[in-house]
Amino acid sequence: MKRTLLSCLITAVAIVTLLFLALPVIAIFAHTTPAHLVDQLSNPVVRDAFVVSLKTSVIAQALIVLFGTPTAYLLATRRFPGHAVAVTLVELPLVLPPAVAGIALLAAFGRLGLLGSTLDALGITLPFTQTAVTIAVAYVASPLYIRQAIAAFEATDPNLTAASRTLGAGPTRTFFRVVLPLAQGGLIAGLALSFARGLGEFGATIMFAGSLQRVTQTLPLAIYAEFDQNFDATLAMSGVLVLISVALLLGLRIGLTWQRSPSKRSLYLFGPSASG
Amino acid sequence: MSRGRAFSAVAALTIALSLVAGQASARSSAQITVYAAASLTDVFPKIDPAQKYQFGGSNTLAAQITQGAPADVFASANTTLPQQLFSKGLCSKPVVFTRNTLVVVVPKANLAGIRSVYNLAKPGVKLVVAGPGVPVGSYTLQILKNMNLSGSVLKNVVSRETDVREVLAKVALGEADAGFVYSTDAKTVAGKVTVVKVPAWAQPKVQYGICVVTKSGDKTDAQAFVKKVLSKRGQARMLQYGFLPRVKKKR
Repeated sequence: MKRTLLSCLITAVAIVTLLFLALPVIAIFAHTTPAHLVDQLSNPVVRDAFVVSLKTSVIAQALIVLFGTPTAYLLATRRFPGHAVAVTLVELPLVLPPAVAGIALLAAFGRLGLLGSTLDALGITLPFTQTAVTIAVAYVASPLYIRQAIAAFEATDPNLTAASRTLGAGPTRTFFRVVLPLAQGGLIAGLALSFARGLGEFGATIMFAGSLQRVTQTLPLAIYAEFDQNFDATLAMSGVLVLISVALLLGLRIGLTWQRSPSKRSLYLFGPSASG
Repeated sequence: MSRGRAFSAVAALTIALSLVAGQASARSSAQITVYAAASLTDVFPKIDPAQKYQFGGSNTLAAQITQGAPADVFASANTTLPQQLFSKGLCSKPVVFTRNTLVVVVPKANLAGIRSVYNLAKPGVKLVVAGPGVPVGSYTLQILKNMNLSGSVLKNVVSRETDVREVLAKVALGEADAGFVYSTDAKTVAGKVTVVKVPAWAQPKVQYGICVVTKSGDKTDAQAFVKKVLSKRGQARMLQYGFLPRVKKKR
C-alpha cells in the first residue's frame, strides 16, 4: 500500500516537473506556425544576430579550447602552491552574475579600465566592438569547458600514460596519442556546454559590448531588443536557440557515453593509432 | 500509519504549492505596482515612496503589460505607447503628466571634443543612443532629422541601448563619447558628464502619458497614485527634478 501510494506520488511530482520544464519550450513553437518561424529567419535583424552570434561564439570557443586545454591539463596533473586559487579563478565566472562580469570586463578592458591606457597606446579600443562580444563570451563560457577538461584529464588512467612513456613515447607524443584521446569525450562534452552558455550570453555582452545590429547584437540581445517590436521575430530567434541547445545537449550525452565506455577506449589505444 | 504519512506528504506539498501560488497573487491592499519610464527612476519614489516600481524602457514595459504583467499604473515617456494600450482596451485614457527635453551628454574628460550636436558627425565619435522603439530613441532620431544630421551622425552610433539610463551609464563610465538623454537624466550624474544643449528649435515634443491598467486589481489606489502625480505637490516634485510643467505656458 505504502509503496504504491508513494510511487504514485513520485510519478505525479515527476510529471509536474517535466511539464513545467517542457511547457515554455513547447509554447515557443506553438505560438506561431513553423512556416511563419522560417519566414522570420529571413528577417534581417534575425539573420544579422545569428551571424554575429555564430561568428563570436566560434572564435570564442576556439580560443577557449586553445588556451583552456593546456591550462586544464596543468591543473589536472600538477599540484603546486596556489593550485586551489587557480582552480577557484577558473570557476569564478561560472558563479559570477553576468552583470558583474560585464562591469568587471569594463573595469579591466574599458577605455578607463586597468588596461585601458595600455590598449589605447596600441590603438585598440575594445568596448562596442565584436571583439568585446567575443571576450565577454569567452570569459563567461570558459569555466564550463576548463572544469570538464580538468575532470576528463584527472580521470585518465595514469598507468596508461606511464605505459606509453615506458614504451618509448615522449611526453608530447603521449599527450597527443594517449591522454588526449582518453579525455576526448569529456573535452567534447565541456565544449558543448561552453558553446551553449556562450550562445546565451546576455548580461556581460550588453554591458561591455553594447548592442548594435550586424556588429554586436547577438541573438539574445536581439531577442530583448525585438521583444516589444516584433514578437514573431523573438519567437523565431528563441526557436533557433532552443534547437541549437537541444542539439548541443544531445552531443553532450553522446560525448559522455563515449567517454564512459572503456572498452572502446582501450581498443583505440592499442589499435593502429598507438603503433603509428 | 503509512497512509497517514503519504497523506501528510501530499498535504505538505499542497500547502507549499498554495503558499507559492498565494505569494504570486496576494497583494497587500495599500501597495500598487507602477510600471514607469526609466527617466522617472529618481522622482517617482520621491512622490510616493510606498509603492512598488518597475523602471525600464517604456516600450519594454508596454510590451510586458500587453503580455499580462501585473502592473496597476503605466507611466510612459511618450503618449503613443499608453495611447496604443488604451485603444486595445488595456489601460485607461492616458493623461499628460509632465514634459521633458533632450540633451547630449559627454564624459567630463570629453576626449572626442564634443561642443555641439554638429560635432557628433565627426568621424570616430562613439555615440550611444537608445533603440528606435524606446521613446528617447525615437526622440533622438527626430532631433537628428530636424537638424539634418541623420546620415552623418547615425553612422557613428556604436550601440542602441534598451533604455535611457543605459545610455547615460555608458557615457558616465566614459566608454562612449556621447549620448542622447533627457535633461533630467543628465542631472542625476552631474559630476560625471557635461551637458551639450540641443537647440530649442530642434527639440521634439516630449510628453509623458500616464494611465491606469485595465487589469489592475486595485484601481482605486491606482487612480489615487495618478492623482498624486498630477497634484500640486507631485508636480512640484517633478519640477524639482528638472521636468517641465505638464501644460506648456502660453506666451
